[in-house]
Amino acid sequence: MIGGAVRMVARHSHIFQVVAVLVALMVAVIIPQLGSSFYVSLGLSVLIYGLLAISLDVLGGYTGLISLGHASFLGVGAYGIAYALKIGLDPIRAIGYALVAVIITALIFGLVAVRVRELTFVILTLAMGQIVWGLAFRWVSVSGGDNGLPVTGRPSFGPIDLGTDVAYYYFALAVFVVCVLIMWLLVRSPFGLSLRGIRDNESRMRMLGYNVVVHKYLAFIISGFFAGISGVLFAFYNLYVSPTMIDFAHNGTIVQMVIVGGLGTIWGPLVGAGVIVFFQQFVSISVQRWETVLGIIFILTVLFARGGLWGGLLNLMTWLRRRYGEGPPPSSTVAHGLSELDTSANVAVD
Amino acid sequence: MTETRWASKISLRALPLVTDGLDLSAKLQTFIQQTMNGITYAGLLFLLGSGFTLIFGLMRIVNLAHGTTYLVGGYVGYVVIASTGSFVLALLAGGGSMAIFGAILERGLLRPVQGKWISELLLTLGVSFVMGDLALAIFGGNPLSVRMPGFLDRSSLIGPITYPNQRFFILAVAIVVAVVLYVLIGRTRAGAMIRAGVDDQEMVDALGIRIKRVFTAVFVLGAFLAGLAGVLGASLLTLYPGADSEILTYALVVVIVGGMGSLKGAVVGSLVVGLLDNYGKAYFPELAYFSLFAPMVLILLWRPQGLFGKIAA
Repeated sequence: MIGGAVRMVARHSHIFQVVAVLVALMVAVIIPQLGSSFYVSLGLSVLIYGLLAISLDVLGGYTGLISLGHASFLGVGAYGIAYALKIGLDPIRAIGYALVAVIITALIFGLVAVRVRELTFVILTLAMGQIVWGLAFRWVSVSGGDNGLPVTGRPSFGPIDLGTDVAYYYFALAVFVVCVLIMWLLVRSPFGLSLRGIRDNESRMRMLGYNVVVHKYLAFIISGFFAGISGVLFAFYNLYVSPTMIDFAHNGTIVQMVIVGGLGTIWGPLVGAGVIVFFQQFVSISVQRWETVLGIIFILTVLFARGGLWGGLLNLMTWLRRRYGEGPPPSSTVAHGLSELDTSANVAVD
Repeated sequence: MTETRWASKISLRALPLVTDGLDLSAKLQTFIQQTMNGITYAGLLFLLGSGFTLIFGLMRIVNLAHGTTYLVGGYVGYVVIASTGSFVLALLAGGGSMAIFGAILERGLLRPVQGKWISELLLTLGVSFVMGDLALAIFGGNPLSVRMPGFLDRSSLIGPITYPNQRFFILAVAIVVAVVLYVLIGRTRAGAMIRAGVDDQEMVDALGIRIKRVFTAVFVLGAFLAGLAGVLGASLLTLYPGADSEILTYALVVVIVGGMGSLKGAVVGSLVVGLLDNYGKAYFPELAYFSLFAPMVLILLWRPQGLFGKIAA
């Protein structure tokens, strides 16, 4: 019986993925019906940080550019909302204002960031992230400094009022699904394939006539834009923005989500976001040094589970397929995670 | 002995202005003072940046635990000075303990993934998380600071300006370290190995030099300097959770501006960053971080490898 079931799953591993996503979506839809505001708030955290982590995966996992300043875009989006409301715009206009701010930031930062690669890219994004944090911390007349800014009021679209947490949750879920769908299609498109080509061997792609810099620039802007949307969602969820949410530790936490979940897998970072929100909200109650535990899990992932949780699952599927199924697996189901980037460095050293 | 000071994150010790009847305008005095602050702060930055840049140049490792090494070294110094009262001992303990930590980190954690840049980077990030959290558990969240002993705790009168001796001391330490590093790297056999390693690792290895030992030595040296800087930084600034990432950013900008792997670059980068940071904080306090960002962007657009960097970015 069990063997038969395993064989079934193994033969249809792509179907398994679809089923897993559908089940996750159903759970997401049901959560508010459980009647606990705590779960709604938890669900919102996972959606917002999941979106942010997935947007980083487009840049880090698929293009090979790991950013340690990705929370900046969440920050610009969220501060954009808070500031626009402060100067008297209505919530809908504030969204437009925030997204324009995000795009401008991405255009400027991207211009500098695509000139460098690998380690230098990481350092540069880290420094830029710290500068955005520094502005939020110091530019008191705009950002409110250490005290942060309140977010006054949520938007309402015609008859749909997002005032309650449950209504807002469904709104955030819809935005999340649309954004992730776009990113999912993007990494599967020819454009996404060329990004992966750049990740694996930049000089070869250049030789083949691809405009590598433009590809990287676009990937940076797209990734930053979706991260900015997570910032907009964050502002209306938290109703308060402060410099802490974009400090070095938070920038690192987002990288942690992507790595623990699985680099270059799109769904993995969502799993990673779930794990880390779980630690922040549940484990922190009973374990005081939960951050140490999380740090150790992160180190162990880097050392031993380089595809992350989702990558591990995909690789298990592939193994089962080899064992019970027929034919070699489609390459898209093999997750190398970190190894992909480590190898690319060897090629690039040339 | 020591005292715990409750201070804002950026507070430097108040510097009284003495006009002394000379016709130096107050503005000029402020400018001179900010310049001196910038140069002495550059000394602290050099201690961090030099180790960071050597580790990067030789091993291609961006050590994100470098800021945490600074912070924990400072905490160790704080404990030593609280229990023995000796500042010299605190300096040695802060540097020495971090040198040991560096050896463990390099041999134990980084060696197994040697050459895998992303793994090395992420491991140092993980270590900085764990160390930061443990430091918070042990030393709490309140800012701590160390007072330098005797003469160093007082101020000197230079022309019309009184200036704290501790800042001169930090600058002096940095200059000594710079000279020692210059001689070590430029004039000794060990330095020749390091330079050769920066240029062509495989060749050095093939010539029979145990490059891995050189790696460990440089990593330990960098960690020692960071720990030393932590104790000095504890007297100049304060120690608190988050001071690690703040100082790490400064070290990064120093190295980006100066060029990865270049000692000369670390000197120039420290001076540029130290001065711009102080002018920025004094004259445009709200936009202080932009005064760091602008030169970094300009230099990167002009020379992506930094002012003195050999390695193409």
